[in-house]
Amino acid sequence: MFRLALILALIASASAWAAPVSKSLVRIVATSQEPDYLQPWSGGSVSGASGSGFVIEGNRILTNAHVVSNARFLTVSKEGDPGLYQARVLHVAHDCDLAMLTVDNPNFFKGTEALALGGIPAMESMVSVYGYPIGGDRLSVTRGVVSRIDFQPYSHSGVDSHLTIQIDAAINPGNSGGPVLQDGKIVGVAFQGYSGDVAQNVGYMIPTPVIERFLQDVKDGSYDRYMDIAVSYHPLHNPAMRGALGVKEENRGVLVGEVYKSGASDGYLRQGDVILSIDGLPVSSDGTVPMDGDQVEMAEVVERKFKGNKVAFDILREGKTMNVDVPLDSAWPFAMQANAYDKKPRFLIYGGLVFQPLDANFMDTHDPEDLRLRYHFDHFISQALHLKKPEIVVLSNVLADPVNAYASDFRYGIVEKVNDRTIRNLQDLAEAIDESGDYTVIEFAGPGRPLVLERKAAIEAGERILARYGISKDRNLTP
Amino acid sequence: MKIRPHILLPVFLAVAHLPVQSASQKPATPPSTSPVSAVVRVNSTNQSYDFARPWDKKSPYPRRGAGVILTDGNVLVTAELVANRIHLEIEKPLTADKSQAEVIAVDYDANLALLKPLKDGFLNGLGTMALAEGAKVGSVAEILQLENTGEIARTPATITTIAVGPYPLDSLSLLTFKLSSPLQSRDSSFVLPAVLDGRLLGLLMRYDARSQTAEVIPQPVIQSFLDRAQTSPYSGFPRLRVGYASTRDPQLRAFLNLQEAGGVYITEVQPGSPADSAGLRKGDILLKVDDRPVDQDGLYEDSQYGKILFTHLVTSRKTDAGPLNVSILREGKPLTLEVLPKPSDPTKTISESQSFDKAPKYVVLGGLIFQELSRAYLREWGGNWRKTAPQRLVYLDAFQSELPTDRGKIVFLSSIMPSPDTLGYENLESLVVTKVNGIEIKSLADLSNAAKSPINGYHKIEFEEDPGVIFLDAENVQKNQEPLARDYGIPALERL
Repeated sequence: MFRLALILALIASASAWAAPVSKSLVRIVATSQEPDYLQPWSGGSVSGASGSGFVIEGNRILTNAHVVSNARFLTVSKEGDPGLYQARVLHVAHDCDLAMLTVDNPNFFKGTEALALGGIPAMESMVSVYGYPIGGDRLSVTRGVVSRIDFQPYSHSGVDSHLTIQIDAAINPGNSGGPVLQDGKIVGVAFQGYSGDVAQNVGYMIPTPVIERFLQDVKDGSYDRYMDIAVSYHPLHNPAMRGALGVKEENRGVLVGEVYKSGASDGYLRQGDVILSIDGLPVSSDGTVPMDGDQVEMAEVVERKFKGNKVAFDILREGKTMNVDVPLDSAWPFAMQANAYDKKPRFLIYGGLVFQPLDANFMDTHDPEDLRLRYHFDHFISQALHLKKPEIVVLSNVLADPVNAYASDFRYGIVEKVNDRTIRNLQDLAEAIDESGDYTVIEFAGPGRPLVLERKAAIEAGERILARYGISKDRNLTP
Repeated sequence: MKIRPHILLPVFLAVAHLPVQSASQKPATPPSTSPVSAVVRVNSTNQSYDFARPWDKKSPYPRRGAGVILTDGNVLVTAELVANRIHLEIEKPLTADKSQAEVIAVDYDANLALLKPLKDGFLNGLGTMALAEGAKVGSVAEILQLENTGEIARTPATITTIAVGPYPLDSLSLLTFKLSSPLQSRDSSFVLPAVLDGRLLGLLMRYDARSQTAEVIPQPVIQSFLDRAQTSPYSGFPRLRVGYASTRDPQLRAFLNLQEAGGVYITEVQPGSPADSAGLRKGDILLKVDDRPVDQDGLYEDSQYGKILFTHLVTSRKTDAGPLNVSILREGKPLTLEVLPKPSDPTKTISESQSFDKAPKYVVLGGLIFQELSRAYLREWGGNWRKTAPQRLVYLDAFQSELPTDRGKIVFLSSIMPSPDTLGYENLESLVVTKVNGIEIKSLADLSNAAKSPINGYHKIEFEEDPGVIFLDAENVQKNQEPLARDYGIPALERL
C-alpha cells in the first residue's frame, strides 16, 4: 500500500490578500520537537513547519492535529495583519487529525469572521481549497470537484479510518488544516494526499461529520476519542455461508470475525454472529447502511457516537435472531499500535541497559528484525497478549560499559521476569530493579540464558554511564 | 555467506577458461592411484515443485559437478547437486561416455549423496579414491576442477580453520574445514573435490571469491555418512537437540556459583528430543560430554583438530554406539545423565526444514487450496522470506518448538482459485485451519477425511485467524470439482 503523505510545508513567510475568506484564514507556524525513540532521554530534534487553519465561532482556530503535534511554540498570522501572534492548543484529536487552537491576545480575532460548517457536498460538485501551500507566500486557492466519499485510513495515527472526501483540487504541502469551502461554508479540512508519483489529483479532506463530532466531543472540556466496537466484520456474499448461517434475506447481514478481547464488544458479540442491523438501520451484505440518503460504511453509525452511548445490534446467532446492545464505555485496546504524539518516551536505564515499552513509535524508529518482538507487536491485541501483559518491556539498547560487556546479544529481548518477578509493564521493572539483593537476574522470553548483573556493580556503573553518554536522568516512567 | 540451497549459485558462475597448469606439468602417477582418474562428471537435471500451485513443477534446470569414485565403487557428490533430480547421469570426463545413475543414499543436512551408475562395470578402468587421514590446520591440499575438455586443473589449498559450523540448510552444524585457495571459475561445477596426498579430503560446499575461502565438507563427516549409508533406510546424523549459551560472562558465573573452568548454559531442550528423554533441562550447566570437559564456549580439546564444538562428539558417533555420558551441574549439584543421541524424525517435526525430492501435499476443496506448513513453502518468498512471507506462518515456523508437542502439522489455506464456491472468499489466504466439519485438523489427511462428512450439506472450515469460519456448499463443491480442475489445470484434487 502507498503511504498517504500528510500535507505540511516547511516554513516560508506570510503575506496579505483581500478576499472575504481571507478574514477567516490563518497561517500557522509550528516549532516542534519530535522525540527520539532511539535515545529516549533526549528531547529530540527541533524543526519548523507551517500549515493552514481557519477561525470558527468562539474565537477558536481549527486545523490539523499533525500541524501542531509535538509543538513547542506556535504562532499564527492572518491576512491584512502584519502581527505574529502566539497561539496555544486547546484540544487535539490525533485519531481524526483535528486540533483546536486559540490566541490569548484579544486583538487577534478583531476583524476575523468565523466560518460556518456546511454538510457533505454532492459528488461532482465544485469545492475550493484555501491555504498556504508551497509555491509562494500568499494565500492560495485551488478548485476541484468531489471525486469520492469513502472510508479511508487517517495516516496521522496510522490505525484509524474515518469518513473522508476525495477531491481533485491540487492539495500541496502547507495546505494542511486549511478550509475547503462550498457556497461560503466549510465542507472539509484539507489533510492528506498522495505524492504525484503515486496518484494524480488525489487529495483528501476531513468532512463535516468528523469535524462536528470533534466539536461536540470537546464541549465538556476534554477530548475523549472515537468509540470503537472493536470487532472485524466481513461481507456475506457467499451463498453457502449465508445458507449455513441461516441468513434468509438476500443481500443482508455481515459476519462478525474477530471480537477483540477487552474491546467494547467483548462479551456482547461473538465470532460467527451475523449483524443484521445497527441502530435499526438494515446492514447490507457488503457492510453498508443507508444514511443521509446514501449507502455508507456501517462503522459510520458508531463513528457518530460518544463515550457512554450504546450501539443496538440485531444479530443472528446460531440461527436465532437476538438484540444486543453494546455499551461504548471500555478503554480502546489498540493504543499501543497507534502513532503517539505529544508524549515523552518512557524508558529506564539500569547498568547501561536501556528498557522501553513496545509501541508503534518504538517499532517505527528501531525497526527491529527480531521475529519474536515483531510477533508481540503485530499480535498484541489479536492474540490477546495484552491480557497477560498490559505492556511489553524491551531491552532496546546496551550502552556499552564493562558492567554489561556480555549483554549485547540480549538486545530486543522481551523482559519476562526480573528476580523471579513477572514484568507486566515498565513500572514493574522499575520496582523489581530497585529491590535489594546481590544480583539482578533478568529473564527474557523464549530460549536463552538469563542476563545477570551484580547489583552493586550495576548501580555504581549507572552514574558513570549516564555521565559518559550525556544522559541527564536514568528513567522516565510517566508519559 | 549462507546461500539457500535451491537458488544456490554454482560454486563458479562464469565459464572462463583459464588453464593454470599445462598438460606437461601433470604428475605422472599411475592411473589406478591418481586422484585425477577417480573424478567423474555428474550431470543432474533437477526440477522443484511450485508451492504456489503445488500440483505443478517449476521449469527444470541442469547442474553439474565433479564426483569422486570411492573405493567401494560408488560416486560421492554433494546433496545440493542432486536435490529434486529428475534425471541423473555420470560421465567419464575424457571420453564423455555416459551412464544413467541412481542415488543410493542422500543426506541434505550433511549435504552429501552417494551415487551408483546403472550400467554394469561402467566405472571399470577408472581410479578410486580413499578418504584422507591426518588432515590438520596448515595441511596443503589441492582442489580439483574439471576443465571443459575433461582435463583436471589442480589448485593448491591450505587448511586454515577446522571448526563446527552451519551447513547450507541451517538445520545441522557439523565439522567444516576452511581452506584458503585462489580458485578460478571453471566449468560451472557444483561439486569440487579437495584432495590431500592423493586421498579425498572433502567436497567444497561454499566458496567466497573475495576472501578466497572455500568451506569443505570434510572427511570425518563423509566417513560418518558412508557408515550410515550401510544401513537402510538411511537415517541422519545423531543429535541431542538442545540450545546452549556461553558462560563467559563472569557475573553469570558468579551468580551460578560456577567453580569449574568451563561449562555451557543449556538454554533450550526441544520437547521429545533425546536430551529431553534423558532428563536434561533448561538451566543445566553442561560440563562434560563423554568425559571430555567442555569449556565456557562449548569447545572440547579434540586430539586431532584441537578445540572444536562439543556437538561434534554427538554427530560423529557411530550408529551402533551406545548412550553418551553427559555431566551437568543442576542447582549447584553435579549429575551425570545418559543420553542416546538419535537422528531427528522429520515426520514428527511440525514444520519440516527441507522437502527435497518430495511432492508437496495438498488438498483442493471447492477452489480452496490447503497445504501443510514447511520451511520450503516459506522459502518461496525468496532470500528475505523471514520478512516477506506471511508473517503468521513465519512465526509458527520459527517458534514451532514452543507449540504443544501434539500440535501435529500446521494445515493452512495457502491460496484460492476463485470459483462459484469461493465467491466472497477471494481475499482469504495464509489462514491456519483448526477444524473442518467439527473435526480437529492435525494433518492434510485429517482434512481430507473430515471433508467426507459435511454437516447439513455444508463444509464448515474453522480458522485460527479472522474471519474464524467459512462454509462451502458440499453438493456444489462436488459438482464444480471437474470444471475447477479442468479450468485451472489441476491434475488431481489432492495429494497426500
